[in-house]
Amino acid sequence: MRRKVLERGVFTRSRLFLIMGLVLFFLLSSSFPAEAHRVYIYAWAEGNTVYTESYFSGGVKVKNGLVQVFDLDGKKILEGHTNSKGEFSFQVPGKTDLRIVVNASMGHRGEYVLKADELGGVAASETGKEQAETVTKTGSQESQQGGVDQLRKVIEETLDSRLRPIARSMAKLQEEKGPGLTEIVGGIGYIFGIMGLLLYFRSRKK
Amino acid sequence: MHISEGVLSAPVLISGAAMAAAGVGIGMKKLDYDRIPQVAVLSSAFFVASLVHVPIGPSSVHLILNGLLGLLLGWTAFPAILIALFLQAVLFQFGGITTLGVNTVTMAFPAVFCFLVFRAGVMSERSSVSLFFSFLCGAASVLLAGILVAIALMSTGKSFSAAGKLIVVAHLPVMAIEGVITMLCVRFLKKVKPEVLEVGHAKKSA
Repeated sequence: MRRKVLERGVFTRSRLFLIMGLVLFFLLSSSFPAEAHRVYIYAWAEGNTVYTESYFSGGVKVKNGLVQVFDLDGKKILEGHTNSKGEFSFQVPGKTDLRIVVNASMGHRGEYVLKADELGGVAASETGKEQAETVTKTGSQESQQGGVDQLRKVIEETLDSRLRPIARSMAKLQEEKGPGLTEIVGGIGYIFGIMGLLLYFRSRKK
Repeated sequence: MHISEGVLSAPVLISGAAMAAAGVGIGMKKLDYDRIPQVAVLSSAFFVASLVHVPIGPSSVHLILNGLLGLLLGWTAFPAILIALFLQAVLFQFGGITTLGVNTVTMAFPAVFCFLVFRAGVMSERSSVSLFFSFLCGAASVLLAGILVAIALMSTGKSFSAAGKLIVVAHLPVMAIEGVITMLCVRFLKKVKPEVLEVGHAKKSA
């Protein structure tokens, strides 16, 4: 009789742990494709314009979020709101590091630092001009210069539009680090470690 | 629901931390030796719940499970939630270290509040009454957490009604889901291990 009761007790307890384990497993496995609760902003420069895009880690765009641009001393340079696609762009204010902060709803905030040397637009177009000038000098006729200028412009525009997705995805890669399996399992491990410590110290006290 | 670093002002952060410290203190005092594993398991559940993204609704939200924690842990939900939030901040960059106190209060206070309010109903002999109050407990604690976040955000100059409306609307699907989860958990635990639901004083008198 007694043994029966014991067995039953063990059975229900192990079953409970099994179910709890299953719940944890379900939570874990369902979490892989979906990330969670964080706001990302990433920015890239193109010509004289800095483009930014903001989104929640589920991939939902931040609509009408307040974007503020600071220099690294914390001085505010400009601000604006994202459009319905989470985008916001502004003219390069000068050759300085930029700290771009987005304030989404519900107390969410994300930031991205755009280094001065990533604002390549201004410098690049200057070297481009020099190259074009050397080319035109060899050409020596004035009528050719117009044609070369035009050609340079077309090439630049094409390159810009071709490189845009690459710049964008590179910025995204840099910024997007959702929690991986290591972090998740590690966190659970920490919690159980704390549990062990508590159990240990309390058992000594008794 | 996690408030990020750099959103709130110092007085709000400090008062949040003080309230969290008080809650955690009470929770640690009420923590029975035998219940430490249970607290750890639920702390882990809370820790991973934030990774379960709810794709319904206008904004990016995730499960919170604070109602379930409150119902099963009572005041010990405070330390459980504090530890889980700390690990989420460190490992996932959700929320932040400075906002740890505020975030703990916004999620743990509703848990304890709903525990005190709905406990009697949940413990009812009639299963329909019990399930009804379980659902309410799960949903109301999410609602209350949203309201507390809105209050905390008022200090940033946002009007309460605007922030509150947005948070509540965004969390409607989460409220429904958590209500159902809490209901299922209570029904399951009542069948398998009813003593889990008898938190605190019921046990001491025995």
